[in-house]
Parts: sequence; C-alpha cells; structure tokens
Amino acid sequence: MQEGDHLSEQISQLLDSLREKAERGELLYIGENIVRVDSLEKVLGNPVYTADLIPKGTIYAKLFHSSIPHGVIKVMEIGGAKTHPGVLGVMTHKDIPGLNESSAVLPDRQLFADSMVRSTADILGAVVAETASAAADAAARIKVEYEPLPAIFDPLEALKPDAIKIHPKGNIARQMKIRKGNVDEGFAKSHLILEKTYRTQFQDATPLEPEMGLAIPEDGGVRVIGSMQSPHHTQAAVAKVLGLPQEKVRVIQAVTGGAFGPKSDETPYDVCSTAALAAVKYRRPVFCGMDREDSMVMHTKRHPFVISHKTGVTSDGMLLADESRIVGDTGAYASLGVFVVVRATFHTVGAYEVPNVKADSYLVYTDNTYAGSLRGFGGPQAIFAIESQMEELARRLGIDPLEFRLRNMLVPGKRNATSAVMDSSCGLPQCVEKVVASSRYREKAARYRNQTGSVRRGLGLALLMHGNSLGPEGNDYGAVHIEILSDGTVSVGSGLTEYGTGAVSGMMQVASSVLGVPLSRFKLERPDTSKHRESGPTVASRVIVIGGNASKLAAEKLREKILPLAAEMLKTERNRVAIADGVAFDRLNLSATLDWDDLVKEAYRRGIGLREEGYFMAPQAPWDQEIGQGTPYLQYTWGALVAEVEVDMDTGYYKVVGVHAAYDVGKAVNPAGVLGQIYGGTVQGLGYAMMEELIHREGSVVNPNLGDYYIPTSMDIPQEFKAFIVEVPGPLGPFGAKIIAEPPIVLPGPALRNAVLNATGVSVDDLPVTSEKVLMGMRPQQAPRTA
Amino acid sequence: MTMRVISLNVNGTDHSVQVGPLDRLIDVLRDQLGFKSVKEGCSTGDCGICAVMVDGKLVNSCLMLASQCDGRRVLTLEGLVNDLSMKRLQGSFIANNAAQCGFCTPAMLMASWDLARHKADPSEDEIKVAISGILCRCTGYYQIIDSVREGCKRGTT
Ligand code: FES
Ligand code: FES
Repeated sequence: MQEGDHLSEQISQLLDSLREKAERGELLYIGENIVRVDSLEKVLGNPVYTADLIPKGTIYAKLFHSSIPHGVIKVMEIGGAKTHPGVLGVMTHKDIPGLNESSAVLPDRQLFADSMVRSTADILGAVVAETASAAADAAARIKVEYEPLPAIFDPLEALKPDAIKIHPKGNIARQMKIRKGNVDEGFAKSHLILEKTYRTQFQDATPLEPEMGLAIPEDGGVRVIGSMQSPHHTQAAVAKVLGLPQEKVRVIQAVTGGAFGPKSDETPYDVCSTAALAAVKYRRPVFCGMDREDSMVMHTKRHPFVISHKTGVTSDGMLLADESRIVGDTGAYASLGVFVVVRATFHTVGAYEVPNVKADSYLVYTDNTYAGSLRGFGGPQAIFAIESQMEELARRLGIDPLEFRLRNMLVPGKRNATSAVMDSSCGLPQCVEKVVASSRYREKAARYRNQTGSVRRGLGLALLMHGNSLGPEGNDYGAVHIEILSDGTVSVGSGLTEYGTGAVSGMMQVASSVLGVPLSRFKLERPDTSKHRESGPTVASRVIVIGGNASKLAAEKLREKILPLAAEMLKTERNRVAIADGVAFDRLNLSATLDWDDLVKEAYRRGIGLREEGYFMAPQAPWDQEIGQGTPYLQYTWGALVAEVEVDMDTGYYKVVGVHAAYDVGKAVNPAGVLGQIYGGTVQGLGYAMMEELIHREGSVVNPNLGDYYIPTSMDIPQEFKAFIVEVPGPLGPFGAKIIAEPPIVLPGPALRNAVLNATGVSVDDLPVTSEKVLMGMRPQQAPRTA
Repeated sequence: MTMRVISLNVNGTDHSVQVGPLDRLIDVLRDQLGFKSVKEGCSTGDCGICAVMVDGKLVNSCLMLASQCDGRRVLTLEGLVNDLSMKRLQGSFIANNAAQCGFCTPAMLMASWDLARHKADPSEDEIKVAISGILCRCTGYYQIIDSVREGCKRGTT
C-alpha cells in the first residue's frame, strides 16, 4: 500500500511517525512538553503588562484608605490635597454616578466608604494628579476625622451572641454544615477520642505585579485594561459604579504578572472602577495602580481559620467519627470568602473515609482587612487541620502514621465526607506509593525513631483530595472560539484568562491536538469583553478542564469542516484523511499530502467559514444544602507529599531537606507545565508553612512590605525535590485531565508540621511553624526526648 | 524642586534626560526612555525584579537615584537582544518552562547573564546565590535554576 517512491526517505519517515501518532488517537500533542504560546514575549521583556501600556497624556489615581479599623467618618479634609501641585482633584463617594458598590457576591462593600469604615483596608477615595508621585504626595495630606467604634479582631469573639455587629445583619456572612451518619454513635464505639484545635494565619498572595488598572475614555464609555483573572466580572463591576450599560465598558485583560486569587476577587474592581471613574470625569486616560503596600493592605488575603476537630477511632486505628467546627475570619467583607468556607467544609476530613461526619462552619466578619480568594481556596486550612489531627491520632494509638493513613484513606469504592463514592478515577493509592518509595519513608522513619543527637531529622506525610470544578461555587461553564485565519494561523479567544499557570496554553494544546496543527501556528487573543463571551471566573484552576473541553468542541467543529475539503483535494474519502503537524494526508496512500496553508487557502476561496465556538457547561453537581451531602465536585485531584526536615534541637532552627510530592492529574496535557505548577505551588505552600504571616495589630497590617513579610527566595527551597505525575484519567476534563494549579499549595503546611513533630515531639498547631515556636515547644522538656 | 540634566548611556546609546532630585533610575528607564522590561514589584529594594546593570554591577533600579547615574553605563534586557549569551539563556528559559507569569523573568535573565559572564559552569548553589536577590512567586525557582545551568553551560563554547 505504501508508495514511498516519490518521497524522499526523510519525509516518508516523518509521515510514518505522524501517521502512527494520528492512528493512535487524538493525543497528538497531548502529554508533550510544549513551548508555551506566551513564553517568547516574556523572555524578551516585551511591554505587555498593564503598566507598560500607559499612553502619553495619562493621569494617575492614587487610592487612600482608612487608618482606623472601625468608626464613623466625621470630616474628610481634602483641601490640602486638592491644592497640591499637579493635582486635578480628589474623588470620593460623592463622585460616583452609579452604585457605590465593589463586591463579588454579597453587596457588603462600597468602592469608596461614605459614612462608616469597618477596616483599615476600606478605601475612602482617590487623588487624581498629573503624575504618580504628585498623586501619592497629595494623598498623604488627606486628613480624616473619625468617631471610633469598638472593634473586633478575633472571629471567635465576633461569633458571640452579644458581640457588636459589624454589618447590620450580624457577623456571620455564611454558614454551612455537613451531617453524615451519626457522630454520637461513632464516638460511643470509639476506643480513643481526640479533641484539638488548629489555627492558620493571614497569607498574602503576593503576585509580583500588584493590582493595576488603566482606563481610556471611548465613545460614551470607557475601555479598561487591567491585571485580572475575570474580565467579564470586572466589566460588570465597573459598569455598575459608572451607572453605564455593560456594553459601554470594554475590559481587556493585559498580560497579568501573577494572580493567585486576589485578582479574581474584588481588588481589580477597585483599581479599574477608580481609573474608569476618573477617565470619565477628566476625559483623559487614567492609570490606577497599587504599590506593594497598598496591595498588601487593600487586597484580599487568605482567611485565617480556627478549626477544632473531635475525632474517634477504634483501637486498631479505624476512623469512626469526626466532628469539626470551622471558623473563617473574612475580615470586614465577605468577598469570594462565602465560597472559600464551603470548599473548606467539604474538605474537612480530607482524603479519608469517616463513616460519621458532622461539621459546622461559619464565615465571620471582623474588623481586620478582608480575606478572599487565594490559591487553594480553603483547602490549605482544612487539610492542615485534618492532617495534623491524623498525625496526632496515629501517635496516640502507637501506629505508624503511614499505616494509619493507609487504613483510612479513600480508595475506589469508599465514601468521602459528602458521601460521594470514589470511582476508579481515584489515584490516591498510586500517589502514596510514589512518595513512600521515593522518600524511603519506611526505612527512614524507623531510623529516625530513636534519635538522641542535637540535630535530628523527621518525616511528615500529608494526603490530598481536592475537588475539581466550581461545584457549589457557581455554574461551571466556559466558551472558547477558534478562528483559522487566511494565512493558516489558528487564533484562539476566550474570556478565560492566563496569568502565569500556562493553562490557556494547555487549552490551546488540546485544540492543536484535535486539528493536527502545531502550537507554533496558534495565536492567543487577549481576553476582551467586546469579543469574547462571558465564561465565568478564571479560578479554581478550571481553565484546563472547562476551557479545555470548550476548546476541544470548537476544534472538532472546525475539523468537521476541513476534513471533507481535504478529502476532496486529496481525491480520497473523508474517513481516510488525517492531519498531523500541519500536513493533511491520505492514511492509506501516503504519497498524497496537502499542506495546511493550502488547505486553508482553498477553504477561504470557497467561502467556507472557519470560525467556530465551543461552549462547555459542566454537568450539575447536586448536593443537599441542609446536610452537605451529595456530589459537589465532579472529579478530584489526588496527591501525597512527604517532607523531611532537619532540626537543631538547641535553637529550634530547622530546614526542609527534602520534598517528595506526587499528584494524580488525570492526564498531564503539558508535563513541564504540570511540574511547574507542582514546584511553584509547593514553594508557595512552604512559605505559608514556614514564614509567611501578614500580621494585624488592632486591625492594621504591620508588615505590608516584602522586607517584613517574607516569601521564599531561591535560598529557601529544599535541596531535594522529587515530583511525580500520576495519571488516572478523570471523567470530566479533556483526555481525562484534572486540575493542578491550585492543589500543590495545600500539602506542604501539614507535611512540614508533621515532620517537625516527628523530629522533635513538638506539636505546632498554629501556622506558620516558626523556629521560635519549635524552640518554645522544646523548652519545657529540656532533657533529651525519648520517643 | 530643581531639575537637572544628566547624561547616561543606556544599552549603548547616550541619552540626556532631565531629572528631579527624587527621580529614581527605574522611572527614567521606564517612563522617560521606554525600557519596559524593567519591572517594579515593591519599590523598597526587596524583590529585585527592577534589576539592571550599572557599570557592570547588578543593582535594584528602584533604589538608585537617577542623578547618581550621571555619566554611567546602564544595561537592560532590551540591550542584550543580540547578545549570544543572553540568547542562550532566553532559549533555555523557554525550553524549561522557566517563565510562568513572566514578571520576574527580565530580572532573572539579567542576574543569570551576569553569572554567565563570570562562571561557565556554575554549581547549583552558585546559581541559587546569583538569583537570590530576585523573587519569583510562580515557579518555585527549580525550573529557573535548570534553565540557568543549561544556559550558562552552552555559553562556554
Ligand atoms: S522594585 Fe526594586 S527591588 Fe522591588
Ligand atoms: S514567573 Fe511569575 S514571578 Fe516569576
């Protein structure tokens, strides 16, 4: 059949390999380390971020915020700022023509506070000036007189019935519960019951580019360019403030220098609405950017949680019941926190089967600066608590922590906290196996059991279940359109955004695989509300799953248009045609080939439209709100992590010497990209575990700068890092893919905490695990510890 | 505020610019001369992503006053687009997925390029030290370190 005669041997070989690939199915470019579509502009340092795009003649808006945590605004003296050289004006709530609101879910936050402040992050207004420095200098001259009100900084205090009310409806922004089985019966049968409370801290996301917005007046409306995750939500927020119909506000996402959550929350609304207000008022382009301190005070942080567990086990280490109380401090405003607490609650017993589960959770207002969306979205707090609890239980039972986990962990057939039955897509056992082998867990754990020296080592383990899809957080849909341009370029556009993870590249890789055209021929359109359909928020790492499916659908529609044409041109049948690496060919007659560009040219000549949209809506994820039971997530990402630490017993100083992490990602669309998420998320998680804490004192952030708030540098990363990709296909994502950008931040906290415990005997129950806490824990003992 | 005119050489070209006493080097580079590869992440000398070379030394351009640069030579990523050693590093960053959001990338490349000038085959520790002044929040540094090792190595030929 093969007629290689006319072809040089080289081409024939190439076609052979492509044919084999094409015949193996659709996974032409899936699973290969593909160069991301956006990497060239980044290594060239091209001007693609919001602040690089400021046109000549732009004026600057500088936000100013409250200096007290709770009070009534008496007088705002703006005269000094107004007369400052270069200042055009000061905007306050009085300058808002539309609705004074800047909130994502509950309408509880104003853009510019009009009469009352509830935190030091409350924005009062903005100074607009010819230069950024004039605006900043003038903002410092604004004097505000308040009548202070009593303030609450502890969420447990805020929950008390007689606590002062921060919002008229009270201090509980969201409540949630789980009722599975009967915990009392479980406790009655338990051999051991352990009650412990765990606490976590405010973490700052610290994308290296803070929040930025640029607004340009444009025919009766405004064009906004900004650093953000969800342009359509920003469009709605800006339109509301301006009092304009949405179509008068066009929002374009600039290349975004890191996001990690806050840029899907309310902060981008603030900078973009402020810039837009000023642009309309002064008829000039306006830039409103936060500097680092502004950002660390005014954007959303990771919620501190107080989580208490009461857990019952049998004498041979089978979990019987778990009762938890979960309290999240959302600061003065709810933001996306209403969903954070839901996700935390669903993950309250983590990756384990517990027959009886009771959980009550509360998202609580305080007068701290507000918390919201941040990578992991409630997962890090919940899993820190339950994995710490597992370690404590194993120690009390005298069972090796690994064996204890193996007995109780979720495997196919078992039920999680919502009573969802795990199916064959649960790759947790494989993940555990990988990290146990890689870390030589059993051998080392035995060796480290009886250490006596002044430098000791310890291993800590933590397991992960991470629900994919928005589930309870909203309808999970996305649209992607693909247009093949006349020169053969494949242009992809979506309201789903890229901010560093490479997920959009992955989404395009899916289309590339379906069409048989290499990613190098693809072009990404900037997300633009005037061009792309609303696709929900770009959060929860859902681009690869939802966007990937939409992209696959669009590409399949195009393929259906192109293949018949190719068949005609190749003078063969439609089902004999394949396209690989930009070459269409007859599978049964390899001498007949057709270049992609010629194929596209012919399609244009005949007027065949080559623009298609793919729309994917995830199936409903039904669950009962009353008892928190059902299937809130459509699939799960699984993971396991072993951390090894070395502790100086005299000072408490410790370092992480090794990390072994395995994640079941279903199908790694781009393995190098997946590893990048594992490395990056783990290091951000280690920062959370070891050093990061945004400290509030009487409601004011005392360390809103990178000199006092430490994030990991290249000197802080573990010498040894072994990362493993496990692939057990899931039912939802394209080619079985599961999400991966969020999950890796979750496990370092508990694994490290457990490692320190196993090395020293010290239980640190509140993050971060600082050397100081370790030392304080060891002090009372003085004498060498015996295990 | 009294303005004065300074002359500095950026990427091989002489420029005369008017600066105020508080203008920083980063402002002159980005706003007056248009070298946007220089990024601002903290303005306090803590993140390092504003790093440029001044007279052969890597400095944080947010901490240096423009007036201190009178008569000096400044190098930014834009000035190295045709430099072989930089091209190798850039290729290696792309191949190793070392740029996620890309905001730290220009500074990481400058620091790596500076290292490559001095070391043909740097050890992992040397690489970590060389980039330790520059924060990256996305990558966890591992793929950057791989890129630098590879990019420097090929730079020896
Ligand atoms: S902006 Fe200069 S060190 Fe951060
Ligand atoms: S790639 Fe985003 S900060 Fe380094």
